[in-house]
Amino acid sequence: MEKKTDVAPKATPLETLQEADQILRVPALAPLVTYPLEVLVPEARQQTPAVGQRATRADGRLHGLGQTKYIDDWYFPGMLYAKIKRAGVASARIKSIDTKEAEAMPGVVAVITGKDIPCNSFGPSLKDQPVLADTRVFHAGDGVAAVAAVTEQIAAEALDKIKVEYEVLTPVLDPLESLKLETPGVHAPNANIYGHKVIKKGDVEKAFAESYQVFEGSFRTQMVEHVPLEPHATIAMWDPNGRVSIYSTLGRITLGRADVARTLGIPMSRIRMIATIVGGNFGGKNEITTEPALALLSKKTGRPVKCTFTRPEEFYASTTRHPLIMDYKTGVTKEGKILGRKIRLVLDGGAYCSWSETTLGKACILSAGPYNIENLYAEAFVVYTNKTMTGAMRGFGAPQVCFAYESHMDDIAIALNIDPLDIRLLNAFEEGSLSPTGQKLQSVVVKESLLQAAQRFGWNTNGNGKGNGAKS
Amino acid sequence: MKRRGRGMACMWYPIGFTVVANPSSAVVKVNEDGTATLLTGTVETGQGSLTILAQITAQELGIATEDVHVVSADTDTTPMDTGAIASRTTYVTGNAARLAAEKAKLILFDVAAPMLGVKPAQLEAGDHKIFVKGYPQRNVHIGDVANHARMVTGEPPIGSASYNPHTVALDPETGQGKPFGTYVYATQIAEVEVDDETGEVEVLRVVASHDCGTAINPMLVEGQVEGGVSMGVGFALQEEILFNKNGVQINPNLTNYIMPTSLDMPEVEVDIVDNYDPTGPFGAKGVGEPTLVPTAAAILNAIHNAVGVRITSLPATSEKVYAAMKAKRAQAPKQIAGGEARPQIGGAPAPSPAD
Repeated sequence: MEKKTDVAPKATPLETLQEADQILRVPALAPLVTYPLEVLVPEARQQTPAVGQRATRADGRLHGLGQTKYIDDWYFPGMLYAKIKRAGVASARIKSIDTKEAEAMPGVVAVITGKDIPCNSFGPSLKDQPVLADTRVFHAGDGVAAVAAVTEQIAAEALDKIKVEYEVLTPVLDPLESLKLETPGVHAPNANIYGHKVIKKGDVEKAFAESYQVFEGSFRTQMVEHVPLEPHATIAMWDPNGRVSIYSTLGRITLGRADVARTLGIPMSRIRMIATIVGGNFGGKNEITTEPALALLSKKTGRPVKCTFTRPEEFYASTTRHPLIMDYKTGVTKEGKILGRKIRLVLDGGAYCSWSETTLGKACILSAGPYNIENLYAEAFVVYTNKTMTGAMRGFGAPQVCFAYESHMDDIAIALNIDPLDIRLLNAFEEGSLSPTGQKLQSVVVKESLLQAAQRFGWNTNGNGKGNGAKS
Repeated sequence: MKRRGRGMACMWYPIGFTVVANPSSAVVKVNEDGTATLLTGTVETGQGSLTILAQITAQELGIATEDVHVVSADTDTTPMDTGAIASRTTYVTGNAARLAAEKAKLILFDVAAPMLGVKPAQLEAGDHKIFVKGYPQRNVHIGDVANHARMVTGEPPIGSASYNPHTVALDPETGQGKPFGTYVYATQIAEVEVDDETGEVEVLRVVASHDCGTAINPMLVEGQVEGGVSMGVGFALQEEILFNKNGVQINPNLTNYIMPTSLDMPEVEVDIVDNYDPTGPFGAKGVGEPTLVPTAAAILNAIHNAVGVRITSLPATSEKVYAAMKAKRAQAPKQIAGGEARPQIGGAPAPSPAD
């Protein structure tokens, strides 16, 4: 259907348009300063004593005015943009990588592969992760080549021109399969179980035999991402003195510098690692990712090189939270006092160790909960799979085991017809309690926090009138 | 019909690394006017830790938060630090900052002692002054002392220090030892509404009572708790990275990986448990990670309280809750007929996250 559109009359006199412009007052130039320069300091920042004050953050003003400069906002003269080619297969042998076509593209300045990295392995505890995969792919997010080009678009297009020939292998995806000795090793000849921890106290079997009732429960958690607002971003600048400056979203620059020195084989004194204001970490930015590759691209081109992860890369090319499979067995008295507890944890460690050892340790130590348990046996395993690497994430295994021990606790309370608050108060740590590792605990306030939360919630008065009360 | 339920969860959480050394170092320079600069190798990752470190430094020197400028995260200029990880910044880096500030303060005391005609040990710092203990009217402004120190006595007040939590390695057989310097404790109680026709869960309210030792900045503690609760809601109900049978992620984007938005946020009521840890800077411990630890457990217990099903695998999506309720209804008559004495532990088997 044809429709008449309104068009401005052709014979509009120029004067009329100028008048309209005057009325709209569209400025020809933006004002030089768009934010106030006179700083008003909130009172809480000026008071003494300083501790206990609700002081606003020094960076809050810049955030509020939109003046914080994140790495993606930065530009240096002659800067190039890098993109990483991702494997897209979970497990494979790399037969060949052909970068010729990509290198020939106008606008592409340099391409590197794993073979260009002087020492192509890193990791905070086990050095099992390549900067760029060169012979084997261990998970689909592995980088296999890096391109530096004059624009981000050209770099992205160049990735499609890189031809990688894979011999695709059967991936190991289930952590319980990986745990079995007959399962082929993800990092053969190394075993799939790459971390194991035991905490033993008293005699659990005897405690179970003496219990009024023994409860069992199995729990699982999923893999999740940190999803920081700011994705991983890096700018590397190699200068003619052979020093490299790396601006990075890293949360740990001291370790980052050591990893870059090791992978590039250069002295630490030649590396300057600068972390800017980081837009969210949550554990996901605690180890290097593309920093060595960018440093080499900068060395190869003599120009600053920037790389900002896309959102999908944040998911498959950085660390994630460990999925856990947790089996609990608890013996209690009729009154709900825990006599013994047996726990088995299996952590899906993904393709690389990363912070798995820390996660394994914390999960195992914390798995019994904040409770006095004299007879305890907790055993934890972390295994390789060909999935996205799991690493540090806010809580290091604690949210997973808390979900298990607190679900289990409620199941016990309901079965014994005890209020969930009372069973926790009965078993909770006190000042001087011994932890599962035999540590004497100080400044312990589990009961105080339970009572304070219960009072605020109105636990004993049916949820402050808002809840429906305990059904038990 | 929408059914309400409530659930609680408590937790404990350590501050710092497990056994292995995780030191922090700091440098404090007191300027000629009594303001100061703190050099730290840690990184501000949005949690407000640089403000906390400024407050700790200011407290030790007896000046205000605004008087301390923090320079951070540059390997050329700032001392080594284990970094923004393991809820350790307030406790470990905070202890290093306090010790460095103390060293600078002792230089100021040496310089101020002859000015006030007393011994350095008789001095105290507070309210921008250095004064004689018990006689606050006998004082000099900290700026006058700092200026005197640099211009007259030639001892610029600069202090540097390191801190590493005291730990004992775990026995490999039994796991016995002292893996951490200290721990924090917390309880969260959630109130949820579950639609018993669709399985949809809405978290209405979370009451969070957290221990962090001394709250250096209560506002930042509250911020951490609210952020942690939002992350906990996602972990409990929505977020999950999914893989196809070849091990390739199928939802690596914010369209198909569902995170909580402001509309999913419950009312959060935060209480800080009154506490003091003798090993922390001014009694402080930490609060970053623990804020999300009990959230999912509390929500899942509330779901059980509302509709009587135990979801044993996260996330508790509507589909999972609905399937568990359906299975429970199908089972219900049998249970009465069989006269089962004890409720079943665990719930309906849920699909594994790797499926």
